[in-house]
Amino acid sequence: MAKATLGGMEIEIDEDGFIQEPGKWNQAIAEDLAKVEQAYPMSEEHWKIVNYLRDYYLKYEIAPPIRMLVKQTGFDLKKIYQLFPSGPAKGACKIAGLPKPTGCV
Amino acid sequence: MINAINTQNTENLKWVLYNMKIEDISKDTEQLITIEPDDLIPLPYPYDDPANEPPMKQLTEEQKARYEASLDGIIAIGIPKPSSKEEEEGFVKKFISGLEKLLTPENNWTFLQPLYHSLEYCVKCQICNDSCPAYIASGKKEIYRPTFRAEVLRKIINKYLKKKNRLLLKLTGSDIDLNWTLVARLGELAYRCTICRKCAQVCPLGVDNGLISHEIRKIFSQEMGIAPKELHELGTMQQLKGGSSTGITPKALGNIIEFMEEEIEEKTGKKIKMPVDKEGAEILLIHNAGEFISWPENTEAFAIIFEAAGIDWTLSSDLVGYDAVNYGVWYDDIQLARIAVKHAEIARKLKVKKINVGECGHAHKAMIVVADRVLTGELNIPRESALPLLQELVCNGKIKLDPSRNNFPVTLHDPCNMVRLMGIVEPQRRILRTICPQFKEMEPHGVENYCCGGGSGFAIMQSMNFPDWRSAVSGRIKLKQILEVFQDVISPEIKKYVCAPCSNCKGQIRELFNYYNVNEKCGIFYGGLVELVVNAMVDIKKPFIDWEWH
Repeated sequence: MAKATLGGMEIEIDEDGFIQEPGKWNQAIAEDLAKVEQAYPMSEEHWKIVNYLRDYYLKYEIAPPIRMLVKQTGFDLKKIYQLFPSGPAKGACKIAGLPKPTGCV
Repeated sequence: MINAINTQNTENLKWVLYNMKIEDISKDTEQLITIEPDDLIPLPYPYDDPANEPPMKQLTEEQKARYEASLDGIIAIGIPKPSSKEEEEGFVKKFISGLEKLLTPENNWTFLQPLYHSLEYCVKCQICNDSCPAYIASGKKEIYRPTFRAEVLRKIINKYLKKKNRLLLKLTGSDIDLNWTLVARLGELAYRCTICRKCAQVCPLGVDNGLISHEIRKIFSQEMGIAPKELHELGTMQQLKGGSSTGITPKALGNIIEFMEEEIEEKTGKKIKMPVDKEGAEILLIHNAGEFISWPENTEAFAIIFEAAGIDWTLSSDLVGYDAVNYGVWYDDIQLARIAVKHAEIARKLKVKKINVGECGHAHKAMIVVADRVLTGELNIPRESALPLLQELVCNGKIKLDPSRNNFPVTLHDPCNMVRLMGIVEPQRRILRTICPQFKEMEPHGVENYCCGGGSGFAIMQSMNFPDWRSAVSGRIKLKQILEVFQDVISPEIKKYVCAPCSNCKGQIRELFNYYNVNEKCGIFYGGLVELVVNAMVDIKKPFIDWEWH
């Protein structure tokens, strides 16, 4: 497993850059991940999505369906892609410190 | 006819004269083959200029140094290179012991018979060549030829297990050197075949070269502990432990079901309570849990149709009971059995009459077909596909439908496991002929279809540069077929729908469309079958299909 320095901390990441220790996540790590995903500097809108994903993950141990994200944040799919060019899963979820999606999704 | 035979002969002759030899697989060469953009078969308009072919991601030097990548410069599994001579020898030894087990009835009672048949009866006529999506699309790369893996295996068996006379082996061209390189390359090569079994369909002797790939994968997983992470660690292991390969826990499922009920009400005005864990229901409906996350409109549509038709059904919230997937079917019989038994136990506990599998192809194969070898006695609960039931509801007037609601071009992709393997060919077509006035078949179709390119786990395997191979090579023929069938309406202003009643195929088609930017360039969308049914329902005012999400 590779290591990367994010938010001034050494942290394990997988080959696609998803952090492997979700418990270590903090805002500084999120901002460093956002730089890689072309979502930097992070605006209030970015944070609204990231915080929603983070809260959902802490409660349910999984990312929400994208339709749910759209509904709960009020941003449409197009807007989400504008904010996170690599998309909700590979971009926004990664920045929120969620593990890479698995299964037939 | 004569011309056809001559062409076939010339092809075969060319193959004998110019191609690499089977035994080259164990030679210490940097890479056996390379795929150049010019090698790939051409695509129709608007992809007819090969200069616009997206470049396939190359591995980094570091990745090449760490993992076996000498087959074709693609990594599906990521087999680590050995660090000592002992490790190297241990690897080969384990492979041979796994192969030995594969050939004994007590260790391989599930598949020995068809395996034996396929190893012994191939006459190397090469008729199967043209049926392989990877072989054709790659510009006929020798290593992807459907019989290549079997030929390697036969040579190893003759020399190292049957211990045939060496001189005889040399004279008959059956010699091969067994070493780490060969075993590692063969392991990767077992993941260049989508196990679509089109080659088995055309074989005059019923030889199944897809099964050969499957059996090699089994040696790697069951004996050597090697399998793609997405299938094993994050797949079957996660499903058995946490309930689903997607990571959905029973608690998350509850939240998602609530969300789907809200969506149904907003979209259709119908207040539907999705039945969960309803004891004694007629049908336990099990979806691929990926639908809940990525395509909830599919599971919503099932609920709308079943409620409208008055079906007595339920979902399960039990661990594994809400995820029909069984990735074991692709690489490991033991994992397959564990999951199959779990599905059956849940159905028995709920006292349902039967299990109905939603729009997921490999779950059809695992739960309805292969599990028959494992589920005996009380566990042998009737297990059926959702497609014939849907046909009954749609074509027998149980739901009021207005086909003019679906007045846009529609084509159908045939999921290999439902169609070729199980012979469920007509129900989905009868439905589309009834509710889609512009339905048009792609060619070839039905049991002669081509795989989406994402079969046998490929659609979810994300390792290094494998996703690029999956789009540019194994999925290429499917893209070609889709573009061809829509060629006269190819303008992006005309919205078109590829109906793919399988989660895995949908995932692959989505990736394929992203890779080639098909949505934007051609206006082609994709989705399942039930969404089209609900979209045509008379008592639903607004369109159900939301193009943005397809």
